[in-house]
Amino acid sequence: MDLRKYLEILKIFIKTQLAWRGDSVIQILFSLTKILFASLLWGTIFAGREEVAGFTLSSMMSYYIISSFLTQLDMSSKVSMEISQRIRNGTFSKYMVIPVNIQGYFVAMEMGMVLFHLIIYFITSVIWVFLFRIRFVFAPDPAILAGMGILILLGLFFMVQINYYLGLLTLKYEEIGLFLMIKDNLVAFVTGSIIPLTLLPERFLWIMKAFPFYYVTYLPSMLFIGRLKGELGMGLLVLSCWCVVLQAVIYVTWQNYRIKYDGVGI
Amino acid sequence: MEIIKTVGLTKNFKRFKKQAGMLGSIKGLIRREYEEKQAVGNLDLTIREGEFVGLIGPNGAGKTTLVKMLTGIIAPTCGSVSVLGYYPNNLEHEFKQQYSVVMGQKSQLFFELTVEDTLRLFKEIYGLPEEEYQSSKDYFVKLFQVQDLMNVQVRTLSLGERMKMELIAALLHNPKIIFLDEPTIGLDAVASKQIRGFLAEINERRGTTIILTSHYMEDIKALCKRSIVINHGCKIYDGDTEKLFERFQKFKKITFTFSEPTLLPNLEFEARILEQTPYKKVIMVPKENAAGLLRELMNLLPADITVEEEEIGTIVERIYREGGDGLA
Repeated sequence: MDLRKYLEILKIFIKTQLAWRGDSVIQILFSLTKILFASLLWGTIFAGREEVAGFTLSSMMSYYIISSFLTQLDMSSKVSMEISQRIRNGTFSKYMVIPVNIQGYFVAMEMGMVLFHLIIYFITSVIWVFLFRIRFVFAPDPAILAGMGILILLGLFFMVQINYYLGLLTLKYEEIGLFLMIKDNLVAFVTGSIIPLTLLPERFLWIMKAFPFYYVTYLPSMLFIGRLKGELGMGLLVLSCWCVVLQAVIYVTWQNYRIKYDGVGI
Repeated sequence: MEIIKTVGLTKNFKRFKKQAGMLGSIKGLIRREYEEKQAVGNLDLTIREGEFVGLIGPNGAGKTTLVKMLTGIIAPTCGSVSVLGYYPNNLEHEFKQQYSVVMGQKSQLFFELTVEDTLRLFKEIYGLPEEEYQSSKDYFVKLFQVQDLMNVQVRTLSLGERMKMELIAALLHNPKIIFLDEPTIGLDAVASKQIRGFLAEINERRGTTIILTSHYMEDIKALCKRSIVINHGCKIYDGDTEKLFERFQKFKKITFTFSEPTLLPNLEFEARILEQTPYKKVIMVPKENAAGLLRELMNLLPADITVEEEEIGTIVERIYREGGDGLA
């Protein structure tokens, strides 16, 4: 595989993001508003209490910042939207007639967008921490932080895979809005980006650990604040297995549904 | 050398059929009915290297479906197809490396970025060495005279300018075959003429095989030595373009406009008056009488005269009625 072509795709999507200055500024402001509401909400919940479910206000805010940082970093829903829209209006051929691996194109696209937003959200997060005087809690162990980094990359890749797969389902089902809605709700809840999963019943958590979403945002966020270190190895294993399985499913789906594409549209 | 060959190529589409109205919608929800439509039927085709072939036909004739099958975008229902020795729908990179497709209503450019940015992406996608990329880009930029447009956002380009850029992006890697689906659609006469000039040069100088579908007679007449007429998915003519128009284009539409109210005299020729007002006369005349009619009406001192060819749909209908000579 010639990586240079994918590197150029990555670069072109960074350039595309840079074309819209207003959009970038609004995203920073929107992120700041979110943390303002979160600090008000958790400030109210923690009023008169030192701890809630083992979290102090500082660790809760640190968790919120890192998990919302990771959630916003995941741009993969654009992959399913782009594929679905293009299949429906007949312009998916744009990707079929050029000598690139289509999934590779979308992975590079996601990486380009993530890199751009990584910088934006990093700056925003630093502003949050200083502006709201949050006593930021994070794990001091470099090995855990490195493992967390790998887990985040695997998680982002998995999210591209699942969105790519759902996008491909348009070839058969034409309308995938329902699939996307289920995925979005599942991801929002199960990734722990709304509330930490430790607040949920033990049995629920146990089931969630067999599925990949637990390891996409929740576990990296918890690892970042120095918790659940013992789950890192299992997380890497489970998420890797899911990536391999999903890749096989994508391959079979593409081989079978590709011939259903009729290119009808504009 | 044959580079495209199809035998019995067929494409059927299945489409959802629904009765009109709310009741129809509810019925459709409970019981789905589908109908099968043949877009291309049993089509045999051979194209040799370096040819400039025109695909003609009315809307829905199957031209675009044929191009989509030849480029691998869609899979045929049955029949065989070979392009450059490949089965297109396998979508092999080695195959895609050797052709390009430009569809008038679909773009490969990034609207937020400049053309230069897109071309650089294509350089990497097609694995062009820097030197080859620069010389190829310089050649086309000079040919299309777009030096000043390389660093402006694509979305700010006019339709004609954008089409030139689409062509540059498609030609950059020097493909063996280029498929052009309505490349002059929506363009004004000047831009269309320019594009035709560029395509003729690319075909002659580089020996690129070009398959062109167009609704416009001018495109086909000016560029394609060979024409293939398709109607209802079937080939009804395959042969010399000049002969096609000589035999089946039987009438000319001539429009005379006058600066003063003018009466039309009794015409000596067989002619059909399509529109008549004091200032304007539109007359359909057999093409052998066109010169005579022009001579006769020149005495009335018209302010302006326009001579138009018959529409492609009319010619196709006539071929269909009379049967096409030269049919392979």
